[in-house]
Amino acid sequence: MLIASKICEELTDQEVVARALQEVDYFSCLYQRYEPSLRRYVQHMTGAGPTGAEDILQDAFIKIWRNLRAYNPKMKLSSWMYRIVHNEAISALRKQNAFGKNKTVDWADAEPMLLRTLLSEVEAADEDRISTQQLRQWVQELPLKYREIVLLRYFEELDYEAISDVLQIPEGTVATRLNRARKALEKAAKP
Amino acid sequence: MNTAQKLVEQIKAQQIAPRPQWHYTALNWAVWLGFGLVVLTGALAFSIILFTIQQVDFQLLQHMQHSWLEGLLSLMPLFWIGFLALALLLSMYTLRYSERGYKLTLAHLAGYSAAFSILLGTAFFISGGAQQLEQAFAIRVDLYQSVQEKKEQIWSMPEAGYLGGTIISVTPEAFQLEDFGGLIWTIDYANADWPPRIQLKPGEQIKLKGEQRGPTDFSASFIRPWGGQPMNGNAPQMRLKE
Repeated sequence: MLIASKICEELTDQEVVARALQEVDYFSCLYQRYEPSLRRYVQHMTGAGPTGAEDILQDAFIKIWRNLRAYNPKMKLSSWMYRIVHNEAISALRKQNAFGKNKTVDWADAEPMLLRTLLSEVEAADEDRISTQQLRQWVQELPLKYREIVLLRYFEELDYEAISDVLQIPEGTVATRLNRARKALEKAAKP
Repeated sequence: MNTAQKLVEQIKAQQIAPRPQWHYTALNWAVWLGFGLVVLTGALAFSIILFTIQQVDFQLLQHMQHSWLEGLLSLMPLFWIGFLALALLLSMYTLRYSERGYKLTLAHLAGYSAAFSILLGTAFFISGGAQQLEQAFAIRVDLYQSVQEKKEQIWSMPEAGYLGGTIISVTPEAFQLEDFGGLIWTIDYANADWPPRIQLKPGEQIKLKGEQRGPTDFSASFIRPWGGQPMNGNAPQMRLKE
């Protein structure tokens, strides 16, 4: 029996986790709540289409369910879920690369406004000259460790602490990598 | 059936259950236990390094036949320094993989690991534990034994004025000392200088500087504890074994 959306909305993340451990149906609340953003992240990370992203997400949610008792309430639930989904996406990406299937990232649903925010933070970039499409291309060409940071910061709008929790790296490293990613984009943006 | 419902149905159909809490508690404890053990090992290594350095008579190094650096390297506990480095690396690794370890920078990981080992090791050294451990290793480990051998060799040259060993008995005029070769010496200490930490009692290990007066007679001018700092004055002119 699926829990009604209205009931899910009234519960906090912690309450949903506590209830899900008692009654598995409540786990659907987490799926409903986080599926859109997590699916978008998986698609941006792996370049998978809707079906592929759903498969990755299903596997990730099974892992989330199996490890639900490992969740530490000191951390945001969303950060913890992103971490598991991120690891699953990386794993899928490695398998994909191992089979020589380099897919083009689907940026169709990327918010142009977020890309513009990124562009405005890249020094020396002429915002009017550079098209959103061009910027998407540059982000896609970034090495994985910079691309994942850009995605989490500008597409998922996570703060440094949350990114640190997702990628399991110190916040200082988050700042350094983000800065290097900006520099790389800056280099690409120079006429 | 929407995707959320499919997910829940899959969990029910395959009877997938969340892992029990004890699993994570045990894992967490295992990581901290591993960290504690590695830090403790590093602390023991550090205490032995301190003790060994205390044993090295640095002033003697310049009188060795080989270069100062070569002599130092031959006396330094390189095995324990390597062991400490390995323990530090392992403790950094275990700390990194503790629940929130990823928040720590490399400098923090190294700092915390080193600080715990240094503090515990220094406490162990001060309490005298390092000496007992060193003695145990002196019996079992060839490399460590060789460091002791070299020290004993240096202080087994009565003809050059250097003698070491264990006090057997003490009278107001003289005491008897058994050297490292088992020979019993009568030591005249009427004009000797010794620090208050030397108690001159049977069983105490000491080193002496002075003059050989007979086959088993020695007149001491300076007396120092066996494990203490080198004596003042000239160091013995000796050859280490090749």
